[in-house]
Amino acid sequence: MYLYLYDNFLRSRKYDSLLSTIETRLTDFGIAGKIIRLQHLTNAETVINEEIRRGATTIVIVGDDKTFGNVLSKAAVCDVPFGFLPIGSDNSIAAVLGIPVGVEACDVLSRRRKVKLDVGWFNNRYFVSRLHIPPSDITVEYDEQFKVSSTKGKIELVVCNLQPYTWKSRKSQDIVVHPQDGKLEAFLRPVVGKGVIKEKYDDPSIFPFEEMVVTSRKPFVVEADGKESKETKITIKLAKKRIEMIVGRERKF
Amino acid sequence: MDTEYTSPTPSHHDDVETVVGPSVHVEGDFASEGNILVKGSVSGNVKTSKLLTVEKGAQILANVRAGSAHVSGNIKGNVKVEEKLELSSSAQILGDITCSILVVEPGALVQGKVMMNGVSIEGGEDSLSQRSSSRTRRAVKQEEQEDLN
Repeated sequence: MYLYLYDNFLRSRKYDSLLSTIETRLTDFGIAGKIIRLQHLTNAETVINEEIRRGATTIVIVGDDKTFGNVLSKAAVCDVPFGFLPIGSDNSIAAVLGIPVGVEACDVLSRRRKVKLDVGWFNNRYFVSRLHIPPSDITVEYDEQFKVSSTKGKIELVVCNLQPYTWKSRKSQDIVVHPQDGKLEAFLRPVVGKGVIKEKYDDPSIFPFEEMVVTSRKPFVVEADGKESKETKITIKLAKKRIEMIVGRERKF
Repeated sequence: MDTEYTSPTPSHHDDVETVVGPSVHVEGDFASEGNILVKGSVSGNVKTSKLLTVEKGAQILANVRAGSAHVSGNIKGNVKVEEKLELSSSAQILGDITCSILVVEPGALVQGKVMMNGVSIEGGEDSLSQRSSSRTRRAVKQEEQEDLN
């Protein structure tokens, strides 16, 4: 039995016709199922575990990058295959997974081509899209082997798992960070000065890794899958083959 | 029917580079399976089986091992390269070099021994090392003599 988790933003009337077409297509494929609309305070893990107990065999996330991150950061512990029907404009993870946005995603879902995905883990929390630390006085230690620090002060850090990240460059063209499976990639960019509106950055450093410890004397902001927290020390690891995901042929890993 | 794909073909795995940015300092032993590009400073051994590029202004203060290397910056330590080592005009190496192919641009500075794999002259290495060691001994004696005087 399929369970469809609809994001709250899909209540908007502009999605009515698209959702109706998708539901018809899913019925044609014989994979229609129960629909649950996620609210702000819905705990995805509890909902999914309850539905697995009632017989759900595949969980399908319906929404955008934010929905995908919100659900899987909680539900990565659930032992069930996941699918994704991307809807809306904010969908960069879908391209990495090879899933087209809109009705065509139903075709990918019906083919059930499954792969096991790696998930990022930090301080007892999973993250599937990316982790971001805005410019802070941090020191980074990789795989207990070497330490990285900036010679000029603050560093911005981005760890990419599934979501690509675009860094605006002042000199040349923008840098697009494409994630890959098998390792996490950390991108560090030291702040070299202040411009009129925002900080000026140096060229980024890139380090693939499996475990990384970020420390600072002062608390720093950590943003993972859209959720913010303040920490003084975080350990980021790779949880290998954690999530079973239905993907398309055009996936980028 | 379910289809299990356990080993998807990586499309751009080989392109992955480790980059040490210009205002970044790395401390500790630093190894990578892919290409390494150093623009900042590294205090610790650097190891890769692929290409190591040390840009102008970059600095490595330890031993280096690489599949091949292109050096335009400074290295203080021994450099061991499996294949080709290219030194551009701004390169400075203070340490011994071991490689198979060596390309040196005019202006590059090297202070240390250069050892290249593949020398086929019989006894060449032994006699050279004996000669160089006896020369070194003579030079040391001469210096001691001068100091005494």
